Amino acid sequence: MSIFSFFRSAPRPSAVQAKERLQIVMAHERAGRTGPDYLPMLQQELLAVIAKYIDIDQNKVEVKLDRGGDCSTLELNIELPAREQLKSAMAAVKKPDLKPSASADQDDEDDKLAANGPLTNGGVKKRH
Amino acid sequence: MSKIIVMTSGKGGVGKTTSSAAFATGLALRGFKTVVIDFDVGLRNLDLVMGCERRVVFDFINVINGEAKLSQALIKDKRIDNLYILPTSQTRDKDALTPAGVERVLNDLSKEFDYILCDSPAGIERGALMSLYFADHAIIVTNPEVSSVRDSDRILGVLASRSRRAEQGLEPVTQQLLLTRYDPERVERGEMLKVDDVLEILAIPLLGVIPESQAVLRASNVGMPVILDEASNAGQAYTDAVGRFLGDEIEHRFVSPQKKGLFSRLLRRSA
Repeated sequence: MSIFSFFRSAPRPSAVQAKERLQIVMAHERAGRTGPDYLPMLQQELLAVIAKYIDIDQNKVEVKLDRGGDCSTLELNIELPAREQLKSAMAAVKKPDLKPSASADQDDEDDKLAANGPLTNGGVKKRH
Repeated sequence: MSKIIVMTSGKGGVGKTTSSAAFATGLALRGFKTVVIDFDVGLRNLDLVMGCERRVVFDFINVINGEAKLSQALIKDKRIDNLYILPTSQTRDKDALTPAGVERVLNDLSKEFDYILCDSPAGIERGALMSLYFADHAIIVTNPEVSSVRDSDRILGVLASRSRRAEQGLEPVTQQLLLTRYDPERVERGEMLKVDDVLEILAIPLLGVIPESQAVLRASNVGMPVILDEASNAGQAYTDAVGRFLGDEIEHRFVSPQKKGLFSRLLRRSA
């Protein structure tokens, strides 16, 4: 068998996958551990502001604080909805008299936001 | 003043007790008066690995509670001068480990010993926290495997925030990695994390790599620290690690596969 396996294209070694998975999960855990106390609050407020204008999926948001030698970077990755959804969302926002609570089911999230105020964004998912 | 070392890992079954027994024995062989303490209250096993289980009369918890003197609980190793074992209780609860009690015993020990080695239980509960709280040095025992590496990282975080040195703003606990159960052949086949992978992820200095070895089980069967099996790879690797801990410059061995002929390589692959 071993002679034939030589000709097959080798699958990605499991050790490589192990390393990648560890690096990803631990980056998150370390950020949660070593990050400053304001980071979760900052994350929620930033998201609340963005959610006011764009209908974002709270599960497709990534906030990361990297600390380098001289400087730290705050990285905010938000996956925006597809163009059509975006359009309708923007339209909803632009109408001055339309309150978020007046629209359909998918706006439930916005509804909460408006009700609770920007500091208590119930939809933010913490991954730590 | 003695130095306090904690052998810790977060995850269970990675080789803390095996490493504690080997390391304490190695330090004693180098002439340092050494005591190794079992912090795994209720699941004591260091006594078995050290081969002194039938000599346990009083234990660590008895001393903390004032039910026995330290000298009554300390067991002197029969093979090595300078080596003592402080077993823990098999019946009490972990809550018996009070910070004040542990500190008092460690203070008493430090008057007499060069090295105090604390064998941590798995987890991050009281026993583990108490074993690392007073440490000057931490040896992080890790297997080249995802859950062990992640738990080790977690323990590094605990050391950095919840040790006495962290709480009092002293110089941080020094941290070194002891990578155990390493199988260079599986690493070469891409089935196991490399030393360098683990080092890159955990970002602490490497104290030693202990190869997967049948000698470890043989040694624990008979209650002998594996470092005394001088013919075995694992025993030699522990001796090297102790030397490095004491500042010797020793090249890492057992990190690449032993050379084999083509024929045995082909056989091995199909196995």
